[in-house]
Amino acid sequence: MPNRKLVSFLYGLPWLLTFVIFWAFPLLYSFVIGFTDYRLLQRGYSWVGWGNYVALFHDPAFLSALKNTFIFVIGTIPATTVISLLLALMVNRRFRGRGLFRAGYFVPSITSMVVVALVFTHLFSRGGYVAMLAQMVGLTPPANGFLYDSGTALASIMAMDVWMAVGYYMLIFLAGLKSIPDELYEAAEINGASSLRQFVSITLPLLKPVTLFIIVINSIKSFQVFTEIFVMTRGKFDTSSAVYFVYEKGLTTRYDFGYASAAAYLLFVIIGLLSLAQFALFRQRKKLSW
Amino acid sequence: MRYLFVLALLCIVSACGSAVAKETVEWWQFWTDPGIKPTIEAMIRDFEAANPDIQIKVTDLTWSDGQEKIVIAFNAGTAPDMLEVGSDWIAQLAANGYLSDLSAHIAPDSNRFKGWGMVTYDGKVYGKPWILGTRVLFGNRDIINQTGAAPGFVPVTLTQLQKSALAIQKMRKGEYGWGSNTAEKHRLYKKFLPIFWSFGAQLFTDDNRYCVISSDKGIAALTYYKYLNDSCGYVADQRGVEDAFLDGKIGYIISGDWLLKRIELENRKINLMTTLIPGPKYPGKSFLGGEILVVNEQSKRREAALKFIDFLTSPANQVRFCKANRSANPSSVEAQADPYFAGNPHLVTFIKQINSAICPPVDPDWPLIEDVIEKAVEDALFGRRLVATALRDAQIQITALKSHAKP
Repeated sequence: MPNRKLVSFLYGLPWLLTFVIFWAFPLLYSFVIGFTDYRLLQRGYSWVGWGNYVALFHDPAFLSALKNTFIFVIGTIPATTVISLLLALMVNRRFRGRGLFRAGYFVPSITSMVVVALVFTHLFSRGGYVAMLAQMVGLTPPANGFLYDSGTALASIMAMDVWMAVGYYMLIFLAGLKSIPDELYEAAEINGASSLRQFVSITLPLLKPVTLFIIVINSIKSFQVFTEIFVMTRGKFDTSSAVYFVYEKGLTTRYDFGYASAAAYLLFVIIGLLSLAQFALFRQRKKLSW
Repeated sequence: MRYLFVLALLCIVSACGSAVAKETVEWWQFWTDPGIKPTIEAMIRDFEAANPDIQIKVTDLTWSDGQEKIVIAFNAGTAPDMLEVGSDWIAQLAANGYLSDLSAHIAPDSNRFKGWGMVTYDGKVYGKPWILGTRVLFGNRDIINQTGAAPGFVPVTLTQLQKSALAIQKMRKGEYGWGSNTAEKHRLYKKFLPIFWSFGAQLFTDDNRYCVISSDKGIAALTYYKYLNDSCGYVADQRGVEDAFLDGKIGYIISGDWLLKRIELENRKINLMTTLIPGPKYPGKSFLGGEILVVNEQSKRREAALKFIDFLTSPANQVRFCKANRSANPSSVEAQADPYFAGNPHLVTFIKQINSAICPPVDPDWPLIEDVIEKAVEDALFGRRLVATALRDAQIQITALKSHAKP
């Protein structure tokens, strides 16, 4: 029996080692250096206690990045969730060429974010297609393009992000829709329920676990928004996000690892709390109505 | 027989030993472009042939993450013997004791090379300038001629530049008078500071203690720059501005010698004009930066590395490099006088501009100071703050940075 335990342990050892070396240790180490003034280029460091965390709450750049991140999350999650659900409902119907539509909506989500961001940088540029479209409908596009204007830069990135994400979440909603038994809809139809009533009383409640999954996953992903900002604006024009702030502090300028680690942990706490709140909210609503 | 075998084995081992005794200098560098890499490799081969006891092990870096790799390597104690670094990294690396003091070694070269200001920190020299970088004014002569300018017109004052750029804009043919860099880290300040310095403004007092960016001259410079941007500017990132210029959409831009290389490699048909940055007194000032060769303070092969640095920076090798790279900024005075440069008027412009170019202060806090300057310029250009307010706030921030400075 002890041999069996040893063999099991040895089987798990490669994963355990990888976890400890590449996950657990860096996580703990960065937590510790969040309480120091550790900089990559500096020899030695000193303990600053909660100093980095206090400084973060007085740092206009961090507060602005945090504000932008919340705007990004609040702006993209409902749009992504609603649009992907509508698309899933649409491609769930039987019609000729629906496979093509499913694939078409899904393709952006398997395309490299860098490639998509570069393409959209051109679309949003001065004289680009988006500016031309805006002019066609009588709107005045920003003089230097959508990404070089503080009023439109973040919204433009958010729009691109929604476009890119809906295909993936559509597929998850589609899987959820497929798992709803047809008998429920047949029974509702016999009882004279309208399509809207069926959607509200059957589809939405039974999609609740999927919706929760999508909202939580998408929230975490949106709080970590970085690549599109790095490629499209480099955090300029009021588009810096919390993760971009961490990158800027930790890996550019002064390589301020202590400060950047504190910011990363603060973001970790925020994401954790919001995820817990989302779970609690859905659990509460289950007790009340569903 | 057995003794003979042992003797033969000893001979082989000792022969291998002498081969192993070769000193291997590790060098990290950034020239990975297929146009220049073969020249780098050829120079290494030539050096190794001339110095059979030294072997060069080269590692290529990219500008996108090379600095991160260098910083992490120094932090981890795994940095190579010798590195090519950007001039604005010197102060941070030197202040933290990562670079070898080359003052004694370079003393005989002090008059034979330019750019020592970029590598001198706290009175000591921490690197040898290799390839310099400056900015000049580029113009599209076809567009300028359409405004009715005299044949061969070259703006030598800032007023002439402004009038000519505005005249291009007024033609309303879809062309812009001026190419204006958007908020782009590490790039915007290199475009603004030439105008700033040309106005006679200074970032710091002569003793480098106090920031004076919001002097009357500083405000006049940013007001001028903003006026060009607002009245006739095509705003995009550096690549976008250069693309538009090469496509014949912009009259004037400030740029570096890489644009000459692009024009040649992409076979662009542009009626090009290059001139020194205009100023109230011609020529105006420009930005000076460059590629610096440094030695790791911990290197055990310092002498071999210095030998290789001297080889790379020799006038002949600098000309060889510039020819392959189609660039025009050797640090060697002797190389600058080479007929290769004199035969091309655009290359001559760059060589001349180096003489009136200024390098930013060699300060460990420069990356932060640079951020503050760029933020002020960006805010003024895009109307978020008034010129005077933006510069005043920048002055306060930079003063605070310097008073709390720790390397």
